[in-house]
Amino acid sequence: MYLVATTVPPSGESEIMDKPPVRIVLAKIGLDGHDRGIKVVARGLRDAGFHVIYAGLWQTPESVVRTVADEDADWLGLSILSGAHMTLVPRVLHLLRQAGLEHVGVIVGGIIPESDVPKLLELGVARVFGPGTPIPEIVEFLRGRTPAPSAS
Amino acid sequence: MGNRQEIRELCQRFAAHDRQALSRLLTLASRGEQLEEIRHLVGAARAAPLDGQRGSPSRRVVAITGSPGVGKSTLVGRLIEVLRHQGSSVAVLACDPQSPLTGGALLGDRFRMPSRPEDPQVFIRSLATPGGRGAIPEHIDLMVALLQAFGFAWVILETVGAGQGETAVRHVADVVVLLVQPEAGDDIQWEKAGLFEVADLIVVHKADLPGADKVEAQIRTLVNLPGCREVPVLRVSSHQKEGLEELVKQIEILASQSRTSASSAKARLRDLLRERFVQAFEQLGGQAEELVRGWEEGRLSDEEVFAEVIERMASSSPSAN
Amino acid sequence: MSTATERSAKERWEQEVAQAMSRPQPPTTVSGVPIEPLYTPESLPGFDYDAELGYPGQYPFTRGVHATMYRGRLWTMRQFAGFGTPRQTNQRFKFLLEKGQTGLSTAFDLPTLMGLDSDDPRAVGEVGRLGVAVSTLDDIRQLYDGIDLEQVSVSMTINAPAIVIMAFYLANAQDRGWDWKKLRGTIQNDILKEFHAQNEFVFPPEPHVRLVIDVIEFCTRHVPQWNPVSISGYHIREAGSTAVQELAFTLADGFHYVEQTMARGLAVDDFAGRLSFFFNAHNDIFEEVAKYRAARQLWAETMRHTYGARKEASWKLRFHCQTAGCSLQDKQPEVNLIRVAYQALAGVLGGCQSLHTNSMDETLALPTEHAVTLALRTQQVLAYETGVTNTVDPLGGSYFVEALTRQMADEARRYFDRLQQQGGVIAGIENGFFRREIAEAAYAYQRDVDAGRKIIVGVNAFTEAEEKPIDILVIDDTVEKDRIAALRAIKAARSNEEVRRHLDAIRRTAEAGENLMPVLIEAARARVTVGEAINAMADVFGRYDGAAKW
Ligand SMILES: Nc1nc2c(ncn2[C@@H]2O[C@H](COP(=O)(O)OP(=O)(O)OP(=O)(O)O)[C@@H](O)[C@H]2O)c(=O)[nH]1
Ligand SMILES: [Mg+2]
Repeated sequence: MYLVATTVPPSGESEIMDKPPVRIVLAKIGLDGHDRGIKVVARGLRDAGFHVIYAGLWQTPESVVRTVADEDADWLGLSILSGAHMTLVPRVLHLLRQAGLEHVGVIVGGIIPESDVPKLLELGVARVFGPGTPIPEIVEFLRGRTPAPSAS
Repeated sequence: MGNRQEIRELCQRFAAHDRQALSRLLTLASRGEQLEEIRHLVGAARAAPLDGQRGSPSRRVVAITGSPGVGKSTLVGRLIEVLRHQGSSVAVLACDPQSPLTGGALLGDRFRMPSRPEDPQVFIRSLATPGGRGAIPEHIDLMVALLQAFGFAWVILETVGAGQGETAVRHVADVVVLLVQPEAGDDIQWEKAGLFEVADLIVVHKADLPGADKVEAQIRTLVNLPGCREVPVLRVSSHQKEGLEELVKQIEILASQSRTSASSAKARLRDLLRERFVQAFEQLGGQAEELVRGWEEGRLSDEEVFAEVIERMASSSPSAN
Repeated sequence: MSTATERSAKERWEQEVAQAMSRPQPPTTVSGVPIEPLYTPESLPGFDYDAELGYPGQYPFTRGVHATMYRGRLWTMRQFAGFGTPRQTNQRFKFLLEKGQTGLSTAFDLPTLMGLDSDDPRAVGEVGRLGVAVSTLDDIRQLYDGIDLEQVSVSMTINAPAIVIMAFYLANAQDRGWDWKKLRGTIQNDILKEFHAQNEFVFPPEPHVRLVIDVIEFCTRHVPQWNPVSISGYHIREAGSTAVQELAFTLADGFHYVEQTMARGLAVDDFAGRLSFFFNAHNDIFEEVAKYRAARQLWAETMRHTYGARKEASWKLRFHCQTAGCSLQDKQPEVNLIRVAYQALAGVLGGCQSLHTNSMDETLALPTEHAVTLALRTQQVLAYETGVTNTVDPLGGSYFVEALTRQMADEARRYFDRLQQQGGVIAGIENGFFRREIAEAAYAYQRDVDAGRKIIVGVNAFTEAEEKPIDILVIDDTVEKDRIAALRAIKAARSNEEVRRHLDAIRRTAEAGENLMPVLIEAARARVTVGEAINAMADVFGRYDGAAKW
């Protein structure tokens, strides 16, 4: 048929790797409470062998950066559907850099207008995922590269 | 990951009280990497405490255990508030089981432990435990030691207790607190009864819910059975913020007893011996199978088997597995 | 009933089916419910027309709440709108009324929905973005300026601070000389689904529910044509639930409100007729129609037999319907127009009382006027060109639809039992039951899509190499500054002494457990802000941080 190619084994079948598990913090910043996407991604990454630290709703840029630091995470995934991404994401990136955490890769998911995507990438976001992105696509991306974003 | 140069640098940064270095070293310890260096670092720090913690208060290691959903993380969050209010620093190691199939884990405990990002006296680390429900992560003792060496006065472990892990918890924790909650329905399942044996303190949590009285009464009859250790039972509601100060006070009392009381030390040593003995037996590898066969066929006496294992135990260092 | 010849016809059919090609995946609904190849009278054992269906406008209302349905009056076409400043939204309202829309629906921005003023530090970047920013009585005044509130019915989508906004609305109406008894409209005011799904709550569940009941109680006495709550499954479904979960959780929430209102001493027949509902219209037409029909049946049955309602109005489940935002895709966004049209069809075949059709560009940004117009036109084509309004409940009696309706109702009843066993709705919130059920369903759905077991046009099938961009609406950043300046000016002009007095009154009333609406109406006039009123209540109720885990 005409389906997306799934190069990643479907959830539940991924091999136990010898490499240490990748640690990713998932957080929602800002006020919006739409957490369907982030919860689905959290489960999907868990089933693909990641260690997912779920920081949950209503996080501030400051609290997110503290979590990334204390959890020694390799990645940070931010979900934001409220339209405030151009205010909040740059702040997170700035604070990460300030904390000496530029080696942490940042991905952003949610409703992000096409025109804002290049701006976010420019700022150092590794990738932006729109709503309904297939989980295998995210897994493949995270496995395919070391976290260090363009910012370093 | 972790070449000699890097680990040396990390240790230096740790000694200079660099929080990121602590975080990184915890990761290495949790993966069983660079254990020798980390042990050395911890030992050195014990001999010469880091800046700012000379004459620091006595250290506490508390395990908070109980079935999933009993409110462990919420209570830990409250304890953080109370302890910070009293001026103590707190580190938390929150353990959640990891999938045996994929190695993946969803770690959601810190979500319930609101902390202020500007407060450096609180540290929370989420850990996945490969051993499934009830187990605690390998090298947790070393992670606790790292946190203490860094200066955290309290280290709280959150674990789902209901497996072989509880005795292991006893080795690292001064005080083991078991949470239970009021259950809907009449029949309360005490399949966790075995857990009572390792608990130093039992908390009837969510005491704001109906049925707390009943649970408390049931527990009291259970723990007061003849031959049982006397275990304090407390009622706590994290939602209503009730019973928290009392809980901290009780933990303090038990912790000081656990250091001084000979009987408790004896119990801990007994557990330790038991574990090491079994460990040594398993380390015998192919030799163990021979012992088993010989013993089964009557060629070897009990004493002869014991001697083999004891010899092995004496010759191996505990970290060797 | 089956004769020899019939049986052989059936056998022949079965044989043909067995030999014929079939799709690799056995067909299921959007929610994953398996569907039979054919439904016949045998699919409905013991079917009793009068007991299960009856006549439209009569118990158990399976076929509709009105005797003539759309032959008498069409549904209300109500498009949700709101962004930026109250003045900008006011202009959008007037634009929609001119285009032939028959009711207004107000969307508030996130800070307002969370009970925060525009100048709150946590609101940075979100003011006026997803809806209109309202912090004071003056904002409400501007928002509905020049609109005849006795003629137009107004709906307000707000929950956590609903009682405060309602107080503002009533104060404004009174000041403008409108008669409360003639006001028509709906305030969503449904906090329970916020705990299950949407996460816009401030206080713990119990005091929050109390505020919901305050509004119901006050409106029952003083604003009799107003719907004081819109018990919503929409957001539950958007969060990823199945159709049955949407149905069951929404009705369970409704029953909880009924019980709590009765516990206040109100007679069920005095308020039940004003309880309204809000459901999602997803892609699976028949599953959705069955859901609405089962909802009417279950509600009628429970109101009558469990809560002892005697009036027919108390048994009727009236509902607003909105097409599924979560079904819209950012790939090939124009295809969304087609999805929305089918979803709207489901809502109308299911007998909705009012309908919102989503705009095609909503996964990208707030809708443009062009997109909003097309969405409204979709409803107009449905109403005036397709003929679906010509007879009542056109799908009634379909073996398939009746069997699905039964199945839905049975499964919802099983959920009611499970909830009862764990101690009710509040217990289910506290122990994470609702959230777990919904999140697991959402994950199962996503896995089906990722694995290609469910086809989404333009996403995992029929994709285009080049995406053609469509125009989107851009909110200018001056809104936030404008709102903050306006709010500062109001704060500077009011009497702080008076504000303090009103805030004390709010705390005292909250403490005493009395209805908060009267003191809030007075506070509105003294220009107490939404944020201040909420904070005063939080002093008494506390804040809920149990933003449950999964
Ligand atoms: N009524 C009541 N509920 C509580 C209390 N403390 C926690 N809860 C609720 O209990 C549920 C589970 O809380 P958690 O803190 O996540 O429990 P846990 O034991 O850490 O759970 P796991 O980490 O999944 O094993 C949540 O819904 C809390 O809101 C309390 O004092 N009273
Ligand atoms: Mg926990």
